[in-house]
Amino acid sequence: MAVRANPNLIDDLEHFGARDAIKCYQCGNCSAACSHSDDPYVFPRKSLRLLQMGLEKPLRSALDPWLCYYCGNCSEQCPRGAEPGETMMGLRRWLTAEYDFTGISRVLYRSWSSELAAVLSLAAITGLGFLGFGFLRGGGNLSVYDGPGAFLPAHAIHVFDWTMGILLGLLLAINCVRMWYFSMRNDQALPVPFSMYVRYLAVLPLHFFTQKRFRECENKAPWANHFVLMLSYLTMLTLIMVFLKDMQAGPKVNWYVHTFGYLSAIGLVTTSILAVRGRLKKDEAYHKHSHESDWMFLGLLLFVSITGIVQHLLHRAGLPMAANITYVIHLMGVVPMLALEVPFSKWSHLAYRPLAIYFSQLQQAAAQAKGVVPLGKPVRPQPAT
Amino acid sequence: MAEERIGVYVCNCGTNIGKVVDVAAVAESAQAIPGVAIARSYKYMCSNPGQEMIVQDIQEHALTRVVVASCSPRMHEATFRGALKRAGLNPYMLEMANIREQCSWIHDDTVAATKKAKALVHAAIQRVKFNEELESRTAPMCASTLVIGGGVTGLTAALELADAGQQVFLVEKQDHLGGNVARLDLTAPYLDSAQDILQNWISRVERHPNIRLFLNSELTELKGFNGNFKPKVRTEDGEPLELEAGSVLVCTGYKEFDASRIEQYGYGRLPDVITSFELEAMLRKGKLQTKAGKQPRYVSIIHCVGSRSKEFHAYCSRVCCTTALKYAFEVKSALPEAHVANLYTDMEAFGKGCEDFYRKCSEARTSFVMYAKNDLPTIREASAGDGCGMLITLKEQLSGEEIELPADLVVLMVSMEPREDAGEMARLVNISCDKDGWFIESHPKLDPVATTTDGVYIAGACQFPRDIAESVVQGQAAVARILSKVAQGKIAVDAVYSEVQDKLCAGCYTCYSVCPYGAIEFNEEKHISHIISAVCKACGCCATACPSGAIKVRHFTDEQIYAQIEGIL
Repeated sequence: MAVRANPNLIDDLEHFGARDAIKCYQCGNCSAACSHSDDPYVFPRKSLRLLQMGLEKPLRSALDPWLCYYCGNCSEQCPRGAEPGETMMGLRRWLTAEYDFTGISRVLYRSWSSELAAVLSLAAITGLGFLGFGFLRGGGNLSVYDGPGAFLPAHAIHVFDWTMGILLGLLLAINCVRMWYFSMRNDQALPVPFSMYVRYLAVLPLHFFTQKRFRECENKAPWANHFVLMLSYLTMLTLIMVFLKDMQAGPKVNWYVHTFGYLSAIGLVTTSILAVRGRLKKDEAYHKHSHESDWMFLGLLLFVSITGIVQHLLHRAGLPMAANITYVIHLMGVVPMLALEVPFSKWSHLAYRPLAIYFSQLQQAAAQAKGVVPLGKPVRPQPAT
Repeated sequence: MAEERIGVYVCNCGTNIGKVVDVAAVAESAQAIPGVAIARSYKYMCSNPGQEMIVQDIQEHALTRVVVASCSPRMHEATFRGALKRAGLNPYMLEMANIREQCSWIHDDTVAATKKAKALVHAAIQRVKFNEELESRTAPMCASTLVIGGGVTGLTAALELADAGQQVFLVEKQDHLGGNVARLDLTAPYLDSAQDILQNWISRVERHPNIRLFLNSELTELKGFNGNFKPKVRTEDGEPLELEAGSVLVCTGYKEFDASRIEQYGYGRLPDVITSFELEAMLRKGKLQTKAGKQPRYVSIIHCVGSRSKEFHAYCSRVCCTTALKYAFEVKSALPEAHVANLYTDMEAFGKGCEDFYRKCSEARTSFVMYAKNDLPTIREASAGDGCGMLITLKEQLSGEEIELPADLVVLMVSMEPREDAGEMARLVNISCDKDGWFIESHPKLDPVATTTDGVYIAGACQFPRDIAESVVQGQAAVARILSKVAQGKIAVDAVYSEVQDKLCAGCYTCYSVCPYGAIEFNEEKHISHIISAVCKACGCCATACPSGAIKVRHFTDEQIYAQIEGIL
């Protein structure tokens, strides 16, 4: 069956940041330069081609964009300025929008003003919500920060965190199921038995925590930056989700949690500033192009990190009212950042990337088991395990 | 014969001959042959010292004939003839024995090769004894030129010749000048208007005092020979007119492939499938629309229509890729919202400025879709819900997917092919056509505008698909060739040609029918054949075909051939 080409697709992708893909003339230098490009996932060339031809369906089921970490080597090698690295980035944004069943992601990515409006209104709702809660159901007194009678009691915030976490996790999980459906249940994909899914399950945490494939890229610096950012973020998330009470136990500093808190705060601020600096200087291929969503992501991350630190300092300095106000402002950043980014935007890659590696390995294993390979390519012998 | 003093010169040709043939032994064996006054070997006979040695020997040893055993006469016969001439001998007293191409290059057995070289040299010595003194002659050269075809090539050539002060007869079949270029809108890759390019030339040609222009006219007969042609032209009023021209330049151009021959493109059946020339007409009118009068949203340009195909033309038409890029660019400029796709097999944007133009079109958001050479796309009418007029199905090579492309207007880049009357023209002016029907040049690299008929030249797209710039270059090249002959004022006629011995000729016409050069005329009065020596190439066909043995080829007489055969045995 012939696939209907959608000549408008490449114009649509412009809104997702892939502005130069049309210039590609398929020489394949990008795929030759890429350390991850390998049968049957020959990218960026193949993805660029599907995009140029407007082949939405095969593109929607492609895992290739997630197997790229955007080290920028391909863009440096491109003789036509087609920016294959940025095209893969644009495709990841587009795929995120395709996976998202609500359609919110598409609106956020395509329209900068909508994204800004969404962030601001969520921030306003959050601010009003927490102030209202603090005065009506919480401690009621803005000058009490911790202990009994705190304006925003830790146990209540804990419940809120978990509620939001579960809700966002659920949204992301639905989008992940859609990703699985697109990439594993299309007519090109091989059927994978359930036992195989179980056997390969360890792939998910391995790549989630290490991003070891990113380290195999030609440029190591972005991996290091990304790794520190991710570790800092995960540490902070764990502290907030599990140890919130100890973080806000009172004037006492609980060193067993605070040490981690300080370290991850330093990590978050440093890596975000480095990323902002890189995007402003544009001296690396992977920093040359910045989509609005990149700035929004970095802006919110910096905002949340800095307000978190200021809130802590004010608390330590014995200024509970200022600390409480900063706390609300901090939450006005946290809620839009997580609510918009995790299921609908950049943060979602924390799930899609490991899943793509997992799915691609399952496909290859299925091909190996059957003695065939998707796309009719010969199977390369793999080392015995 | 006893008084003949023959000099034999055996060449080593560096190691080309010397490493296989014992050159010294060959010279030594030649020395022993009666009539040989002196036999030598040398490293490079063709070098200045080598030639000087021959000149000196002729003078000091009073040599009467010379044999050089070296490379093919194609290579250095003229060189050694020159040496003989300098030494005061008739140049035709030279004989060459080819012991390189016909001996050392094809054998490794040194003993046998030396034996063969000795035999070849022996044959040459026996033959040279019968060589006769021959004299080259000249014929007058008429300065005017007949230019056939008033396209861009013919216009260029006519103007160049006329500006040089020579008379030009420009014959054009149609009622206007400009040829196929007059059908174009813009030219690639610099987007100059074709009309602007032509108009200046056409008005100059029409006003030029040295150009006689014949529109609606045709060449009907070409008699005569190099420097002295007598073309007959049927003019506008149907009057046959006999002209005199020293040279004939054929620049009759090409015609386009009939796109309806490719069934699956639906040309002639689907109204919005058009040829490149039809698009040119639309662009010239400034009206880019479908037959229904709508603005096309999807425009597809299919390359290689009739070119590079097993079924139609195996060759590449060369100009279509860049022209297709030009269309993409023009459509994009006229309709910025339209999606333009180039359906190609290989992109050959080879000319000056063309690669940059290719990039520019890409940047203007044109897509390039690759189909397989032997798996052509299929075009069909779309249904109501498809949102487009037609659907093109193809196996896209670079994605590996079978895809369906929407289209409202499809442009077929039809290939160039020889005109239907090319064969007739070739017969009229006595030149040849290749397997595809294009006129054949004398040498593809070293003599690209001359033909095997002296005085008849070809230029432009009648020889092979060419773009405007290349056609102009060829027109100018042909003019340079013609003017150099005109400057010499006369035509050198080789001393080697065939002659009819009138008394023996029975008037059977056999020679007339076998001559590949049209060198034989028939004397109705005497009822015998006559060979025009200026046209004859001394190929010998007539001499071997003549049942009465009436034809003698100078420098290839029976005595010479028999002596050579005996010498080799």
